[in-house]
Amino acid sequence: MTATPVNESSVRGTDVDQLPPEQPVGPEVPGAASRIRLGPGSRYTLISTLGYVTSLAIFGVLVAVKGAEPISVYHTIISSTLLNGDALQQTVLRAIPIGLAALAVAVPARAGLINVGGEGQLIMGAVAATGIGVAIGAAVPGALSWVAMCVGGALAGAMWAALSGVLRTWLGASEAVTTLLLNFIANDVMLYLIYQAWKDPHGSGQPQSRPLAHAAQLPKMFGSQLNIGVLIALVVVAATWFLLQRTGWGFQLRVVGGNIEAARRAGLRVNSLLLSSMAVGGALAGLGGALNLAGVETQLRPDITVTFGYVAFLASFLGRHQPVKVVGAALLFSAVALSGNGLQITDGLDGTIVDILLALIVAVPLIMAKYRRRAA
Amino acid sequence: MPQRFHRLSRVLALAVVGLLAAACSSTGNSSAAGDSGSGKTTVGFVMVGSTSDYGYNQAVYTASQQLAKDMPNVDVITADHVPENNAVTQTMQSMVNKGAKIIFASSYGYFSYAEKFAAAHPNVIVLHQGGFETGKFSPNFGTYWGEAYEPVSLGGMAAGGLTKTNKLGFVYAFPISQTIANIDAFELGARSVNPQAQTYLVNTSNWCDPLKQKEAAAALLSEGVDVLSQHQDCQTTVIQTAKAAGKYVVGYHYDAKSLDPSGWLTGSAWDWTPVYEAITKVAVSGSFTGSKYNANWVGSFADNDNPLTLASFGSSVPSDLQSKITTAQTALKKPGASVFAGPITCQDGSTLVAAGQTMTYDQINNIGCLVKGVVGTLPKS
Amino acid sequence: MNGVEQALIGGVSGGTAILLPALGELISERAGVINLGTEGAMLAGALGAYAMTESSGVIWYGIIAGVLAGAVVGLAHSWITVRRGGDQIASGLLLWFLALGVTSVFGTDYVGTAITPLSNIAIPGLHSIPWIGAILFDQNVLVYAGYVLVAVIWFVFYRTRVGLILRATGERPEVVAATGGKPQLVQIVAVTIGACLGGLGGAQLSIGYVGNWFNNMTSGYGFVAVAVVLFAAWRPMRVLGGAYLFGIVLAAASVLQAHGVSVNQYLLDALPYLVTLLALALFARRGRSETPEALTRSLSRSG
Repeated sequence: MTATPVNESSVRGTDVDQLPPEQPVGPEVPGAASRIRLGPGSRYTLISTLGYVTSLAIFGVLVAVKGAEPISVYHTIISSTLLNGDALQQTVLRAIPIGLAALAVAVPARAGLINVGGEGQLIMGAVAATGIGVAIGAAVPGALSWVAMCVGGALAGAMWAALSGVLRTWLGASEAVTTLLLNFIANDVMLYLIYQAWKDPHGSGQPQSRPLAHAAQLPKMFGSQLNIGVLIALVVVAATWFLLQRTGWGFQLRVVGGNIEAARRAGLRVNSLLLSSMAVGGALAGLGGALNLAGVETQLRPDITVTFGYVAFLASFLGRHQPVKVVGAALLFSAVALSGNGLQITDGLDGTIVDILLALIVAVPLIMAKYRRRAA
Repeated sequence: MPQRFHRLSRVLALAVVGLLAAACSSTGNSSAAGDSGSGKTTVGFVMVGSTSDYGYNQAVYTASQQLAKDMPNVDVITADHVPENNAVTQTMQSMVNKGAKIIFASSYGYFSYAEKFAAAHPNVIVLHQGGFETGKFSPNFGTYWGEAYEPVSLGGMAAGGLTKTNKLGFVYAFPISQTIANIDAFELGARSVNPQAQTYLVNTSNWCDPLKQKEAAAALLSEGVDVLSQHQDCQTTVIQTAKAAGKYVVGYHYDAKSLDPSGWLTGSAWDWTPVYEAITKVAVSGSFTGSKYNANWVGSFADNDNPLTLASFGSSVPSDLQSKITTAQTALKKPGASVFAGPITCQDGSTLVAAGQTMTYDQINNIGCLVKGVVGTLPKS
Repeated sequence: MNGVEQALIGGVSGGTAILLPALGELISERAGVINLGTEGAMLAGALGAYAMTESSGVIWYGIIAGVLAGAVVGLAHSWITVRRGGDQIASGLLLWFLALGVTSVFGTDYVGTAITPLSNIAIPGLHSIPWIGAILFDQNVLVYAGYVLVAVIWFVFYRTRVGLILRATGERPEVVAATGGKPQLVQIVAVTIGACLGGLGGAQLSIGYVGNWFNNMTSGYGFVAVAVVLFAAWRPMRVLGGAYLFGIVLAAASVLQAHGVSVNQYLLDALPYLVTLLALALFARRGRSETPEALTRSLSRSG
């Protein structure tokens, strides 16, 4: 991942086929000179297109083995996600936590760090938001609890990620590993809370927290299913893009990510950059967990973000850690997950078939990694 | 820039052509599948696990398929592996888009989503399996469940009657009220035939983790337990562990006698078909609102409609014990009879039910104490 | 049989389902490749072994099928990461999702059926040693395979040329290449053998210990195996200790409860991860030399 954004812009078009059509294509990174080098890029486009076609074909064979009609399956995937207003809204809602957790991977990745901890950071964000929302939600005006939950969620996510940052910068423990371990710990913390300490006294002993007061829930917009969390997420995505592309901090992260020794010799405060990139990433995921809780779930339950964090890692990978593309990939994966409904209802397939589809999509850029680098 | 656009547009054009081709070539068969204009009512079932889990979800699926067979004016659509998060809203939405007018949300964790979905879709009847609405019912929402602990107490009788060590083992997943009620009922049933019988508890904090189940069952056996029972999503491991040790087992969710005909005593098995059919008939006829299903409906032995039934007896259960159990089942059908009829004492000596009283379903649904005779503690909340 | 003994017996049997994948992960990481697809290899191995045993009736075929199913995952991971230069973490997660989907979709037919699991073989002489005999020498063949594999892996790592090349590949692949070795081949073989052991661990779960199959029956033990390797600082004997330790914690949780002692299940579940995190924090600096250098590099994008 040594490619700089400037180089990557030459192959930017190649990721378009991975994005839902309604998505903007990508950030306009200035880099006029790079546009001339089209040769390897075109080749990459061609081969990766072939790759995705092959992936879909493999998926077709698989569903045929399970007794479904492949053409009907492809039709279902499109019609049950993109061609349906309700499904589109649900895709967007699901993409909020996934997208923000994916940015939580992308930001530290700029500094060369690997954050596999999206899952745990989402959970801690949701936990903090629940604690705050349940405590104050009924007593204070809605807007105040929204802000408190978002800030609390972001802080919790930041602290959870910063733990790994500290272990890395002070002790040299690999953050890829510690973030992964912290996912499981976060999950057990949450389970402890909802089965014991925070258990809803009116929930028939079920594992759930008390629900948020109505005022504390994020309101829906224009009679749609979308809540104002969508706007918050959009602003945060834009801010993240700005932070990474247009600020000195973002530039310094890229320098560290490019060559940590050179950055150190150039006098950059490498450790604080590494730590801050983890914290900012964790804050994004934590916010994602909080928005999902306050806007969609309204109550802490064991499975509210199950595997979202890992899907987010793959989304960031697919989007090459470029904020806008990453969000596009999150929308794509959100749509893939939702297509599972149609695949079951219309085509009689098993619900877990979407895990296979997701894996087949990610397999293409992974297998193409060499071309991808050559193209860049 | 122009070149890139060119390349881009080629890719997009290809994609669009492909999609159109896919859409055109399949419109025929997909519209036939989703046809609801022929006077048929589409009924959707949402499940949390696999339709072939030999457990809770398969029971739902089997009954849904029986419903489709028995009622020719009904189309059944199903979705499984739907996690207990907002995904269930998305699934119900997809079902409605597919023409569903009645939706059965079959996992406890779907409750708040089903309730909200009903409020947002007044023309769709939404039913939730296992929940208990304490507030006001939307005219298109209902919950249904059964007094699951009734057959469990009968299974406890079989266990109490056959234990030689007076130690029974119960493997459970999480300390939810339904599980606590089952554990208590199991012990109460066992003690009704064997006052010395005690139930030892192990939890696995996972609805199906065969490794932990194996450890739990082995630990109970080493403690001297000679009958195992459980409240898990998958029961094969515990049955096999009992079988390998030559001990007895009381099942849950489905009749698994075939796995161990001599070790299997009996168990509880779901039969949702009558409930689904009755609810669907009322809903199709347009008289759902205000009916008994537009409420917290609970099936029971007393009303002859408990969806959880007593499974078949294994070969080790002597006929006098069998007749004792069937007599007890008949007794539970009398008005006012209850598994939770006082006096019942909690582990700590406090009174759960006073003499002459019985617990209401609502109270049992929020039960928080283990009865005397149960060994083990619940995590404190 | 008393409770302590039961906890140790259960710990060794259950711990073997963690030990085998952990040894596999150890080989893979020693060659410089982390494989989060271990969970996927276990799932594939568990279903492969169960399906083969159930349909053929021969448990040995099942063991072989489990190993081969793991090998498929390993070949995929090594091809993607070594030959195609794909991201190791992403590839591992991808294979986890893929295995989860494939085993769920194709494993449904086997849910609810049962086979007789591998029977225990008491080793003559040894099994009658008081205490130790019952715990260590009255187990199934896969548990014994675990003992042998630890010894073999230790020997190969530290006493053979192959081990030297493997460890050198995990430290400085370019040096191995410069001296005429084939680091890519070493990595492919190491990752594949590693995933075979992951598959074998899955087999221990499905046909060795419990005798049935259920969707996602590995419940995250593949990730525990990854944690064990880190906890063990990439040393075979410590991997053995770590895997059994976590196995014993699992079994002890049940034994304590069956004895009427209440335990905090959530704390126990988090324990392997907490302990590993602690070990990493305490020994990160000192243990740094033990971390395969190439692994460190592949785990940091700033290369």
